[in-house]
Amino acid sequence: MGTTNDVADVLIIGAGASGSVAAKHLAEQGFNVVILEQGNWINSSELPGNKPEYELLGSGKWNPDPNVRAWDADYPVNVENSEQPVFMYNAVGGSTVFFAGVWSRFLPSDFRVRTLDGIADDWPISYEDLAPFYEAVERDMGVSGMGGNPAYPPGYNPPLPAHPIHATGRKMAEGLNKLGWHWWTGYSAIPSQKYRNQKQCARLGICRLGCVEGAKGSADVALLPDALKHGAKLITGARVSQVTVNEKGLANGATYFREGKEYHQAAKVVIVGANGIGTPRLLLMSMSGRFPNGLANSSGLVGKRLMLHPFGSVIGLYDDDLDDWYGPAGTQIESMQFYETDLSRGFVRGSKWHVMGTGGPVEMLTRWNIGEGARDEEFWGDQFAVKMKQAVNHSIDWIIHAEDLPEETNYVSLDHGLTDSDGLPAPKVHYATAENTHKILDFALNRALESHAAAGATKAWITHRNFSSGHNMGTAKMGDDPATSVVNGYGQAHDVPNLYVIDGSVFPTSSSTNPTATICAFAKRAATYIAKNARNQEVGA
Amino acid sequence: MSTPLQLEFRLSQAQRDRLAVFADLLISGGAGLPAATEVDVAGAWIDRALGARPDLVETVVGVLAEEGEPAEVLARLRAQEPERFDAFAFVVAGAYLIHPRVRKLLGYPGGAPEPSPAFPDEADAYLEDGILDVVIERGPSYRPTPEARG
Ligand SMILES: Cc1cc2nc3c(=O)[nH]c(=O)nc-3n(C[C@H](O)[C@H](O)[C@H](O)COP(=O)(O)OP(=O)(O)OC[C@H]3O[C@@H](n4cnc5c(N)ncnc54)[C@H](O)[C@@H]3O)c2cc1C
Ligand code: SF4
Repeated sequence: MGTTNDVADVLIIGAGASGSVAAKHLAEQGFNVVILEQGNWINSSELPGNKPEYELLGSGKWNPDPNVRAWDADYPVNVENSEQPVFMYNAVGGSTVFFAGVWSRFLPSDFRVRTLDGIADDWPISYEDLAPFYEAVERDMGVSGMGGNPAYPPGYNPPLPAHPIHATGRKMAEGLNKLGWHWWTGYSAIPSQKYRNQKQCARLGICRLGCVEGAKGSADVALLPDALKHGAKLITGARVSQVTVNEKGLANGATYFREGKEYHQAAKVVIVGANGIGTPRLLLMSMSGRFPNGLANSSGLVGKRLMLHPFGSVIGLYDDDLDDWYGPAGTQIESMQFYETDLSRGFVRGSKWHVMGTGGPVEMLTRWNIGEGARDEEFWGDQFAVKMKQAVNHSIDWIIHAEDLPEETNYVSLDHGLTDSDGLPAPKVHYATAENTHKILDFALNRALESHAAAGATKAWITHRNFSSGHNMGTAKMGDDPATSVVNGYGQAHDVPNLYVIDGSVFPTSSSTNPTATICAFAKRAATYIAKNARNQEVGA
Repeated sequence: MSTPLQLEFRLSQAQRDRLAVFADLLISGGAGLPAATEVDVAGAWIDRALGARPDLVETVVGVLAEEGEPAEVLARLRAQEPERFDAFAFVVAGAYLIHPRVRKLLGYPGGAPEPSPAFPDEADAYLEDGILDVVIERGPSYRPTPEARG
């Protein structure tokens, strides 16, 4: 096995959203940081977005499902026992290279689900605990949006002005005003003006296929260059097989494979930010004599409580020209009207809605063919031209995220029969959408159809009722009690005090909204704690 | 325009002729749009689409090899093998929809997405008539953090 002589102050596994936030913070604070990332840099010239066939490429080589695109950097995911596919990207920048950039803070109630709604668990931290860290990462990631949103406590004031809501957002806003429902201009981790490392958004609308402009606040653009400038060392193509421990049970580094060769990187402190699927996989792979059920797993909760956060969507067609391809793709306007619990609806918790750019003609083709009702209509032959003309440039698309509550029957385990290119076991995902989640989605989808009618749609239909979002959460729960949680409110493992988990795995509940703002704020808070606490930190190497 | 992705596999002329019939059945034009063969779907554009989705070559070749009149083949697939029908129809329609003329006729700007950064006051222009006022007037809707933790 190859070893490096240098002992890192901090070893970070995963160069996605969370790992990059921590790398930037700790490198800037003067720590010797090493990052191990199984993926590689993606050069913007490789990205599909400026090629005519970009939408076809997005459904193939750049598909969000690692089982479909099967890059060398990917690991397969066994989804035999999952109702849903699992989405993520494995590259420098992680899934943020392809995320839609929707930036959404959680609401105060998301941190107090048990207290307020009598179900699931409270977080050991509150909205107020995270607020300064939200602010900090909003500055780091070029977040654009408008302050004053009554759905949030005061103080949510992104550093850059909001993007235009475009004709799509405006049309729907008029409909929502008729209904008296909440809406606000969208928030995106995409700069509305040139900002630090990021260019001004050019509104290509292809954010989910990677930003060819270098505008989007993906970790490889907005965060890692600063980390590297401050001396962080990023090792790409490095797939970690195990977090190793010393005789005291402290983490002392990690073993990884690079080009078929095995290495060990020693470290004083180890941080895992490998995504809600990759993190439990790694902790379970890191079993040893001392930790026979996987590392940091004395609670038995590593891998459990997986929340895949399924979404629904409803498209409406309008007579107006709506320029429905404009970016930022993720959000023109959003609505928190049905976010908070109202028991008269027959379920707890709620949904967050955002109007997305529909995208190009192939996206519209797909929507006709997957839609409830629309799919049964005649589409091919004479109708093809009629329907495509009716739809392209004339659509408004609602995306609806529902809160997915944690269940121990939804979990990640290891499949030793299915392996990645280094022979490491694949994660096996066991997941069924819970009844409460279904109820939230069904309710919200019906309300969204009503909103299309109010906005003047000539036709509207449900395109997804329950589908994977790429928001993978819950598999290394945080809490104060070591018997019922894996890490504490700083991401520090109860069983291994110099091991930190900082990605969405730690979320006790999922919220109804997009998670990356909270993943980044949590990672920033954890990194700040690690830096401040360095003198008192027990170290493993 | 960028260089098409290279596809090692190439359809024969006979396959293309048969594909053209299938493609016109799926996309027969009208409403100001051309039929599939009018924009050479079975020629350069299917190559381009399959270059982007080489995993669908087998589906295309397989459907072309199905015996029977193309209209019957499509009807049979639709009824009995909808996933195969969908995959075939998707790539044929994909070939059509990446054609620049088709995109233009659909009102889509440019062959591929083109930069058009917002001008400085554009965001305000959508809001300047006070469309957000009613939302603000309704006041806060969030539930604040309760003091005690359960
Ligand atoms: C298509 C899509 C669209 C999305 N859009 C949005 C959105 O608009 N808004 C939003 O809030 N969220 C969105 N998300 C979710 C968002 O991308 C994730 O929440 C976020 O990236 C998670 O951050 P992370 O650090 O946990 O993991 P990631 O960003 O996924 O990074 C994890 C990294 O760890 C690496 N890794 C894993 N295992 C190992 C190992 N064993 N060894 C070495 N490296 C390893 C991976 O290669 C990866 O690079 C989207 C996701 C997808 C897939
Ligand atoms: S819309 Fe903006 S952020 Fe999205 S891909 Fe285009 S330039 Fe990048």
